[in-house]
Amino acid sequence: MRKIHFKIKRFDGNKEWYQDYQLAYEKGKTILWALTSIREQFDPTLVFTSACRHAICGSCGVKVNGSSYLACKTSLDEVLDTFKTDYLTFEPMGSFEVIKDLAVAWEPKMEKMEKVKPWLIPSVEGDVEGGFIQSEEDFHHIASPTDCILCGICASECNQLAVNDGTYLDPFILNRAYRFAVDSRDGSPEEHIRPVIENELWKCMHCMQCATSCPKGIPLTEQVAFLRQESIRMGEVNNQGAKHAFAFVNDVRTKGRLNETMLPIKTDGLFKTATTKVPFALRMIKKGKINPFHMPKAVEGIKGVQEIYKYAEEVENR
Amino acid sequence: MRYAFFPGCTLESAEEELMISTLKVAEALGIELIELKGWTCCGASHIQDVDDFLATSINARNIALGEELGVSKIITVCNTCTLMLRTAKDKLDRNDNLKTRVNESLRGTGMQYKGNTEVTHLLWMLIEEYGLENLRKKVVRPLTGLKVANFYGCHILMPPKIMGFENHRNPQSMEMVAEVLGAESVEFDQRLACCGFHSVFPAEKEVMGLTGMNTLSSKTSGADCLVTPCPLCQMQLDAYQPDAQKGFKEDITMPILHLPQLIGLALGLSPEELAIQRHVVDAIPMLRRSLQLV
Repeated sequence: MRKIHFKIKRFDGNKEWYQDYQLAYEKGKTILWALTSIREQFDPTLVFTSACRHAICGSCGVKVNGSSYLACKTSLDEVLDTFKTDYLTFEPMGSFEVIKDLAVAWEPKMEKMEKVKPWLIPSVEGDVEGGFIQSEEDFHHIASPTDCILCGICASECNQLAVNDGTYLDPFILNRAYRFAVDSRDGSPEEHIRPVIENELWKCMHCMQCATSCPKGIPLTEQVAFLRQESIRMGEVNNQGAKHAFAFVNDVRTKGRLNETMLPIKTDGLFKTATTKVPFALRMIKKGKINPFHMPKAVEGIKGVQEIYKYAEEVENR
Repeated sequence: MRYAFFPGCTLESAEEELMISTLKVAEALGIELIELKGWTCCGASHIQDVDDFLATSINARNIALGEELGVSKIITVCNTCTLMLRTAKDKLDRNDNLKTRVNESLRGTGMQYKGNTEVTHLLWMLIEEYGLENLRKKVVRPLTGLKVANFYGCHILMPPKIMGFENHRNPQSMEMVAEVLGAESVEFDQRLACCGFHSVFPAEKEVMGLTGMNTLSSKTSGADCLVTPCPLCQMQLDAYQPDAQKGFKEDITMPILHLPQLIGLALGLSPEELAIQRHVVDAIPMLRRSLQLV
């Protein structure tokens, strides 16, 4: 009989260990079925969280072979097929404090989420007694971000959070900021966006993990782009992230291509570049990877490129 | 085989060795690459943070340059260029209103985006069209004994609805190519990690930590070199490696090769012909030792 081998990371509050279990293979089951079966059949001390079994409560996020899944929504067959193995390792989600076994702590995340004021700040057009009128079109702006079930899988897969000191906001927190900033009934979008700017918005690595792993398909990376665009509209342009982005925008406008030699200076300024990037620049020059005297010429058809910019500015962003 | 070729900015400057090695390998395999005339930067995952219409439009122009050549596909050798071009294409092909407006913005270029040319990465093309068995026939110096750590980089895998060549949670394309070349792929924890390149300025401390974790993980797994299909991953892991080393007590030294360089070695090209001497972390002593090159 085919057996599925599970290695589950345990934690009792003091020590960590991996424990092995086996289940007879059954077709058409979920990862959550495996966890529940192990607890019921072999080990009542195994701790994990789950409730609704319908991808609504968001409580059963877990890592399997290093990749984060919502246990109730994920087919065991799919996972076995993905990793081409009958040996699976279960671990708690990344970037969360572990309470016990696979159960993680949400309180610190909720405290962090309060920074973006994840509630509606009523606009003058509406009030508690009279209610708010929202058009169907405006509702559609908040429909997708409202799908978030706070499962934490985006945070578990976020490459910035994995190396960050804890300041950077989890993708689901950025989603909350976005959700209220674009809500037509909200009177103060900047109150949601300002804390995002102050908490390392430009440190997102654009790895696409959050949008890829979200079990609800929320386009989280597009929201990061929106929040950055809004920060620029709010005048927050004197920072490395915005200056770096503008270096690309301006180089394409003038020449069509990036001037890599000038990029650090455009991002960090001459002083910081001169004081911090000299060893880097010297090793690049030594290997012929940077030619400080090379000034790229404008590409063939640059006038057409500039017409695109003109259209974007005059028609699209009017 | 004839393809339009979109090199991307790094191939003209810091990663010129990828231009050299790609052209050498294409020639050796009998693949004709026609460089797009007047291509621009793809936006490198930054321009949409200022203006997403602009990001889509400049790439509509880049793709239109390929469409003018009448080839079926545009080939890239950079993960991020591939993602940026495919993202624009995906948006344009799904949204007629956007396509009309973008084509309006292209008026001054004398071209229109039609949507009849695909965008692919060299790695995918070798598997899908050239064929690994045909590649195997071209191997004259099997890379026997060479242990490689395959570092995919995020943008060749995600988001799968735009990239989707293989399962992003457990891709195998790099391992398949390594096997054909005779090299041995090692398992390592950071195989699917991010290199952090796109935030190296605003998140320098974090990205240097990540760089060290990535190279150290491959080293601990016994790899002789790390190989990547993306010049941005290569630059982050190679050129910044001395900076990353400062945050680690352990020696994190790991030579970082571009995928076409690995292929070129198996095709019998010398490290110098593939411009491997341009890397910051010298890969040549390791290659001489592992492959008994003279």
